[in-house]
Amino acid sequence: MDHDFVLWIVVGTALAFDFTNGFHDTANAVATSISTRALSPRLAVGIAAILNFAGAFISLAVAATIATGIVDADLITPAIVFAGLVGAIAWNLATWYFGLPSSSSHALIGGVVGSAFVAEGPEAVYGSGIIDKVVVPALVAPVLAFVVGGLAILVAYRILGRQRPGPVVRGFRLGQVLSGSLLALSHGTNDAQKTMGIIFLALVANGNVAADADVPTWVVVSAATAIALGTYVGGWRIIRTMGNRIIKMDPAQGFAAQGVGATVIMAASQVGFPLSTTHVISGAIMGTGAAKRVSAVRWGVAGNIVAAWVLTLPAAAAVGGLTYAVVALLGSEGLGPIAVSAALLAALAVALGRRLVAGRTLTAEG
Amino acid sequence: MTVFAVDGHLLWQVIWVSLLAGVAISALFSFVILGAVRAGDARRAGHGAAAAGYAAFAVVAFALFAAGVVLGVQTMVDK
Repeated sequence: MDHDFVLWIVVGTALAFDFTNGFHDTANAVATSISTRALSPRLAVGIAAILNFAGAFISLAVAATIATGIVDADLITPAIVFAGLVGAIAWNLATWYFGLPSSSSHALIGGVVGSAFVAEGPEAVYGSGIIDKVVVPALVAPVLAFVVGGLAILVAYRILGRQRPGPVVRGFRLGQVLSGSLLALSHGTNDAQKTMGIIFLALVANGNVAADADVPTWVVVSAATAIALGTYVGGWRIIRTMGNRIIKMDPAQGFAAQGVGATVIMAASQVGFPLSTTHVISGAIMGTGAAKRVSAVRWGVAGNIVAAWVLTLPAAAAVGGLTYAVVALLGSEGLGPIAVSAALLAALAVALGRRLVAGRTLTAEG
Repeated sequence: MTVFAVDGHLLWQVIWVSLLAGVAISALFSFVILGAVRAGDARRAGHGAAAAGYAAFAVVAFALFAAGVVLGVQTMVDK
């Protein structure tokens, strides 16, 4: 009974992470469209939410590989997964609060690495896996997107430089609807899979399903729903940063950033080298700005974003490790996860209550 | 801890495919807009043949752009 209770806590926490993942990453798909007025804010997040939901059903190859090759899968327990998820959620919420786009995947990996390290020691963590799956992609993604984004906007300006701005602006705004939609669909296929993989792993570890079974439909539907709801609620602080605070963008730059973002992510997926959507889009936005004029990029904001990327893994790992230590102290088979999740829910309720008392709605885009 | 090893060939492939696809998709959509704008201008100026030529150019560019989008969606479905 205790085991089942812990399992459902892990499932609930995984869905909460999925929600923050959608909420945190809404900006990737909609920030440039909103900034250039290609779409109204509500329509943009509505389309992104629907496509994230649809994307979750497109590819059902279980992404249980989120931590494969990074931690020793044989040593992973539901309590380690729970603590890792708490670390990832904490980092997603902290970066949202400061309006900083950062990778939810790297936060999840960091959280699981930290909790596995505290639970099982350094032998549970593969250093080469962290370098291959986190460090190298984190270095490649923004630089590559920056260069490609810069080249793409220069080509676009070269082709359309002498045309009347009116129809060109309208054309690129239309293009942004398509490129933003592709990004949202791509996000759904990538990120909802992570949660499905984690829930599936927990179900296998608890003996509820066989390791070679199909992912249960309720897992797919709940993961798709959580990420879509999170996307619809929208992390407006991050949307503002990506849409307005890095560069003041025109529709051509918005289209180039989104188009380059979508193509780089898909090209990388095609050759089996997945990159963070957040890193790619942020790099592409900076690239399209710098190509027009280097001083067009607010490098202070860009520096804060890069600092958040550098801190993602160690910070999520620290919270994940600390959470596991508390869970282990209270009993990892029952009381620990229950007490920690109850404390976190209480803290969340207090924070939301204070926000409501202060007269701020939970989903306002303003 | 195992030794650090990133597949250099894979990395190079990501770089050149991204460069090619990213610039191509932006250029193709720019050509769609260019063709459409010039077709409209030519039609208004009474140059029917030029308008048809620019419209055809826009359609071809859009077809190539759409093929890229379909390829992208196919990549998502197949992964």
